[in-house]
Amino acid sequence: MYLGLKEMRHEKLRYTLLSGVLLLIALVVFMLAGLANGLSNGNRQAVDAWQARTVYLNKNANQTMSASQLKLADQKKLSGKQIAPLASLSGTLRTTNNHLKTTASAFGTSRTSFLMPKLVSGHQINGKNQVLISADLKAAGYKLGQKVRIGTTKQTVKIVGTYGKSTYMIAPTLYTDIATMNRLKGAPITSGDQQTVNGFVTKESSFKNAKHGDLEKLSIATFINKLPGYSAEQLTLNTMIYFLFVIALAIIGIFMFVLTLQKQPLFGVLKVQGIGTGHILAALLTQSIAMAVIGIVLGLGITVGLAQIMPAGLPFVVNWAQFGGYSLALLAASVVGALLSWRTVAKIDPAVAIG
Amino acid sequence: MTQAVLALQHIDKQFGHGHTAVTALTDANFEVSAGQFVAIIGPSGSGKSTFLTIAAGLQTPTKGQVLLNGTELAAQSEKARLAYRFNEIGFILQSSNLIPFLNVTEQLKLVDKMAKRPFQKDRAAQLLKELALSDVATAYPSELSGGERQRVAIVRALYNDPSVILADEPTASLDTPRSIDVVERLANEAHQHQKAIVMVTHDQRLIGNCDVVYQIEDGVMTRQKG
Repeated sequence: MYLGLKEMRHEKLRYTLLSGVLLLIALVVFMLAGLANGLSNGNRQAVDAWQARTVYLNKNANQTMSASQLKLADQKKLSGKQIAPLASLSGTLRTTNNHLKTTASAFGTSRTSFLMPKLVSGHQINGKNQVLISADLKAAGYKLGQKVRIGTTKQTVKIVGTYGKSTYMIAPTLYTDIATMNRLKGAPITSGDQQTVNGFVTKESSFKNAKHGDLEKLSIATFINKLPGYSAEQLTLNTMIYFLFVIALAIIGIFMFVLTLQKQPLFGVLKVQGIGTGHILAALLTQSIAMAVIGIVLGLGITVGLAQIMPAGLPFVVNWAQFGGYSLALLAASVVGALLSWRTVAKIDPAVAIG
Repeated sequence: MTQAVLALQHIDKQFGHGHTAVTALTDANFEVSAGQFVAIIGPSGSGKSTFLTIAAGLQTPTKGQVLLNGTELAAQSEKARLAYRFNEIGFILQSSNLIPFLNVTEQLKLVDKMAKRPFQKDRAAQLLKELALSDVATAYPSELSGGERQRVAIVRALYNDPSVILADEPTASLDTPRSIDVVERLANEAHQHQKAIVMVTHDQRLIGNCDVVYQIEDGVMTRQKG
C-alpha cells in the first residue's frame, strides 16, 4: 500500500492520465445506464405503478396488448382477487381548439379498479366521458375542466382529475373508463359485457378451469419485455455497458502489464532486498483500486451533474442501486486487470539484479 | 575467533549440463565474522556475481553449503530465504538499489513498513548523520549525486540491522575520491557497528581498508590477505 500510493504521488501525470481513462469509461457506463433507465422507465412507468403480477391477453396477439382483443365477459373465465379489465389506445390528445397536441397512451379500466391512479387534484371518474391525466400532460399545459379529444373520433371528453408522473411506451398516460374508451375508439358496443377490452391485469388470479378459450396468461415481466422495441432497446444499451466492463478490464490490465515490464529491474531489486511478490502485487492492486475509485467517483459526479442540465426531452433516470452495482463491477474489472500481471511479477528473478 | 556470520564451504556452481556446462565456481571457501570488512576482488567474468547470488541465497550452489548464522540457506524454503534476505542481509548494489519514487527518509520508512513496525525516527536520523546525509533527508534519488546515492544505499542496508552486508561493486559509478570515501565509510561501519561487510569489486585501489581480501579468478577463490 505504502509503495503503491507513494509511487502514484511521485508519478502524478502517469496515474492521473490513467485515472482519466477510467473516468471516461465510468462516465460512458453511467450515461448509457441512465439512458437505458430513462427509456425503460418511459416504456413501463405506468405498468410499474399498477403493482400487478399477471396480464391476460388474447393468445393470438403475440403477447402484445395493442394486438389483443377480448370481451369484457372474458373476465368470467378468471378467478382471483383484484382483476381489472384494461383497454388501451395510443393516440393524439388535443384540446378542442387544437392549440395543444400530444401523443398519449390512453387506458380504460373499470371506475373502481386498482389500476386507477391515485389523484393529486380533481375527482375520480363518476360520469360519462371523463378522463384523468398524468402530471406529464398537466406540465404540457392541459388543465382540469378542459375539454379534449383523443384519437380520430369527434368524441370530446372532460379532464376531471390529475395524478403523478406516468408514461407508457414513451408517451404520457391518461385514464378513463371502459365505456368512454370504447366511444373514443369508435366501437359499436359501448355498454354491457360484450364491450371490447385489450386484456385483464390482475394481482392474484388463475384460470377458473382448463377451458379458457382465447386467453393467455403472462407475467408482468414478460408483458414488459414484449412491449414493442423494449427488449431490443435494453439489450443494445446493456450490451454496450457489459462491453465497457471488459474494456475497463483490458485497459487496466494492459497498462499495469506495461508498467510492470518497465519496472522489472526495480522489482528485481526489491526482491533481492526481501520484498516479495506479495508486496509488489499489493502495490499494483492498491494503484488500480485507487485509480478506479477516483475514476468512478468523478464519473458518478459528472453524470449526476449532467443529469441536472439535460434537456427535459432526454429520457434519463439515475438509479443509485444500479449505479452502485456498476461501480462495483468497474472496480472488480480493475482488480482483475491488475492481477493479470501476477505471473510476470512472480517470474522476475532477483538474481538478475546482481551483476 | 568468533563464529563466522556467513560461511561458504566447498561451493561448486555449474550452469548448464553435459559438455555445454560452464563452471562458475570451483571449491570456493569463504567466511566473514562480525566486525570484518572483506573484499572479493577479481576481473569481470571471474565468478564474483555468482558468488554474491549464492551467498545471498538467490541461487543454490551445485555442491557445497552456505551457512548464514549457522543455518544452511539451501535447505530453507523460498519464503524463508526471502525473510532471511530481508532480516539478515543488507544489500548495496552497483548503481543504485534505491526506489526512484521514495525520498531518502521514505526509503527507510519502507523497511519499517515491511517489517510491520513503527518508523524508527532516531535510528534513521543517526545513520543519516553518520553518513553525512542529514541535509538530503527529503531528497529523491534523482536529486542526489552518485556518491550520496551510494551512501543512502549504505544507510538503507544498515538500517534493518542485518547480520551481513553484501556490496556488489558499490563504487562502480563513482570517481576515485568518492569511491575511496564510500569504501572508508563501509570499513568504518563494519568496525564501529560490528557488522560483517562483504564487498565485491574489480578495483585494486580500494582494498587498503579491508581486513581480509579474497582473489577470485576463473571461478577459483584464494585468500590473499588476513
